[in-house]
Amino acid sequence: MENKTRRAFLQWMAIQMGAVFGGSLLASCGGQEPHSLQTTALPIAKPIQPTELDPTNAPAQTEQATAEPSATPNGHPHIAVARGGEPEALVRHAVAALGGMQLFVNPGDDVIIKPNVCVDYRTYEYAATTNPWVVGEIVRMCLEAGAGRVRVMDFPFGGDSESAYSSSGIQEQVLAAGGEMEPIRFLKFVETAIPDALDLKKCQIYEDVLLADVVINVPIAKHHSLARLTLGMKNLMGVIRDRPYMHGNLGQRLADLTSHVRPALTIIDAVRILQRSGPTGGRLSDVQKLDTVIASPDIVAADSYAATLFGLQPTDLSYIVSGLNMGLGRADLETMKIEEIAVGV
Amino acid sequence: MASDSRKKSVVFSRPWTSLRKLIQALALLAFLVLFVAARGENPGSTTNLFLRLDPLLALVNLLATKALVAGTAVALITVALTFLTGRSWCGWLCPLGTILDWIALHRWKKGKWTPSKGWRGVKYALLLLTLFAALLGGLTLLIFDPLTILTRGLAVGVLPALDKLVIAAETALYQLPALRAPVLEVDALLRPLILPPTPVATRSGALFAGLLIVVVLLNLFAERFWCRYLCPLGALLGLISKVALLRRRIGPGCVGCTLCTDACPMGTINPAEDYASDPGECTMCLECLDDCPLGATTFAPILSVNPMRDYDPGRRQVLVTLGAALGGMALIRTVDPELDHPFSLRPPGADPEEFFSQCVRCGQCMRACPTAALQPALTEAGIEGFWTPVLIPRLGYCDYGCNACGQSCPVEAIPPLPLELKQQQVIGRAEIDQERCLPWIKEQECIVCEEVCPLPEKAIELELAEARLPTGEIIVLQRPVVIHDLCIGCGMCEYKCPLDGAAAIRVYAHCSGGGGQRDGQGRRRGEQPGG
Repeated sequence: MENKTRRAFLQWMAIQMGAVFGGSLLASCGGQEPHSLQTTALPIAKPIQPTELDPTNAPAQTEQATAEPSATPNGHPHIAVARGGEPEALVRHAVAALGGMQLFVNPGDDVIIKPNVCVDYRTYEYAATTNPWVVGEIVRMCLEAGAGRVRVMDFPFGGDSESAYSSSGIQEQVLAAGGEMEPIRFLKFVETAIPDALDLKKCQIYEDVLLADVVINVPIAKHHSLARLTLGMKNLMGVIRDRPYMHGNLGQRLADLTSHVRPALTIIDAVRILQRSGPTGGRLSDVQKLDTVIASPDIVAADSYAATLFGLQPTDLSYIVSGLNMGLGRADLETMKIEEIAVGV
Repeated sequence: MASDSRKKSVVFSRPWTSLRKLIQALALLAFLVLFVAARGENPGSTTNLFLRLDPLLALVNLLATKALVAGTAVALITVALTFLTGRSWCGWLCPLGTILDWIALHRWKKGKWTPSKGWRGVKYALLLLTLFAALLGGLTLLIFDPLTILTRGLAVGVLPALDKLVIAAETALYQLPALRAPVLEVDALLRPLILPPTPVATRSGALFAGLLIVVVLLNLFAERFWCRYLCPLGALLGLISKVALLRRRIGPGCVGCTLCTDACPMGTINPAEDYASDPGECTMCLECLDDCPLGATTFAPILSVNPMRDYDPGRRQVLVTLGAALGGMALIRTVDPELDHPFSLRPPGADPEEFFSQCVRCGQCMRACPTAALQPALTEAGIEGFWTPVLIPRLGYCDYGCNACGQSCPVEAIPPLPLELKQQQVIGRAEIDQERCLPWIKEQECIVCEEVCPLPEKAIELELAEARLPTGEIIVLQRPVVIHDLCIGCGMCEYKCPLDGAAAIRVYAHCSGGGGQRDGQGRRRGEQPGG
């Protein structure tokens, strides 16, 4: 019984989200100017209070969503998954399937790319940090789309940013692609109110992330013992200063943070995934090579799909559940349009 | 135009002084450049060059360890230079000496007190005491070596203070939108080159900068007070200078005008001795050469032993200092209350048994440490280990990807280990305080220590336990448990523990865990019965 209720609820949620999502995509295609603090095509949905979520009280709008709630403008899928190829080709195909980088990056845009560079003592083979070629290719695609400036940044918890940029191998690929590395400057963490937050009402966020025209979130999919997995929403921890604080009520606080940062695009690097001992790893036996890249403008959707790579359901992850509650995206993998691309070698 | 020609004339009329001042400035600049470059993960072996040029550090380390560290043989250059040209190190190269020359506080001298000649003997007594203590394995007195005073004072005193000032200024100015860009520009120049990229914690900086400041303030009583009366390195070089080749000589043309006496920053030109000077006190600054209007002052090769002065160490001083060293060391080792301090965590790879007799207390490792985890010991290492480096995980962690301290140590008291080996060194072992740890005591989720543990096989595992919330709800909690055999004591967990105040997980130097590079029992010399 309970299962059915949950499913019904999720479906209802998905339909709602689909409507919001579709509408906003339409709106954003109309040449909307990028907002300074809102870096995504998605509007920030009003948080839905849990009491309003009782499906029995759900308004009859469900009918207005059609049998194909997942239809997107121009026929682009919600999620693109590219498999079996070199990292660069995977990224390129996945983003192309979503309609190409020019849908997300306008000429002259200031772009911030946020990979996971959590520590300064692991090379990419250990799958603790995002694949350097994935990041490099995203930089290249942003520049091809006419971006004015493309910066790559993360705030590692082990070692300082500059040593982590170099030891992860990301710096080399980013510079080769014509991007810049943003060394973390503590001054740029600014106390920011999060209006839609249910718990994390304010937080010190790296201001360049808030000021950028476009934020592209590039996590690596890996194990984490509290969050279970660190994916797109968890990766946003790297733009704030006080991380240990986040660990109480992690799922909700991550959703709160996501509600304010709103990346325009989430590209999950699953070229290698870390199955155990995350987020730092260190044993190749814990690494599984999947040669997969997942891309979606919907951070919750991207995370939901990535969860299945580890044999988990989206709702096994507390931050996905919180994200759904706040209307940050959707997790109904069965109904969303997912384009799977076999890239081949 | 006028000032131009005047400048020229100063250079031409005082060529030796001008040359010396230029070289002093260059040497101080070189010292500061190397000091700055010593921070970070690849400091390289040249950044500690000045410390290795210091023959007192090399000699004392040699006496205490009975083994020569190859890198310190560079100090023979200074020794050779001294045999040829006397205490020219002091007058031309010593970075502290140059700073004391520049901060000429004696010009503001108010009081009448001038140290008597006998004060010059203090530095020799300090030197002898240092050497005898070294023979007994005690290197504590090296906290008075001029290069350690300067290096340590800058690393853990002056720079952290500067950092705090800069942070305050930057934070204030950054509030003004118009100033944001320039503030960031300045910040980019300072960090991470000179100051840490993100704020680090330090402790008792005033104490360590204090010694440096006192040394400078002593200039109020006499020009180069430190160099004249106290410096043990100056004393060592002074003894060599008694037989140096190049020495000052007064020619027959001297009419006793006292210009040289007034000019001598060391106050060693004595009218009562026909304006002769003590080569053990002379820093070869050549002020007197430039000042002598009659050309009566010359510096020429002399092959003889200069007569000893009454302040030079005699047999009696040698015996007294030897006795003092013996008694002092015995006393320290008997009363030292901190032999088993639980938090005396040594830098990675350092042998806790031998560390006191190897470490020259220079503080270079504290400059090198990018997380400021290494701090001078206050109480953690007892009297004998005062100001030796200890790891304070609550202030900073030992970065798994960094081996800078070993590379920067001039005497290899912290061995220069390749990164893979350094990562296996056991600094200590972490223990969880189950009375304070959130999931243990408060039914709150927290796995930060496990998350940040850098080991490939994490030394913290999470136990599943049922816990009852105040609401009565039963939840499954993950509770961290340390696997002692795996823990290397890097302190990452203690550093990141989100509790206020002391962490709920702490790294202990003495842990029953065993294994690793340590025996976990004997600590260091002098501790064992009869040792």
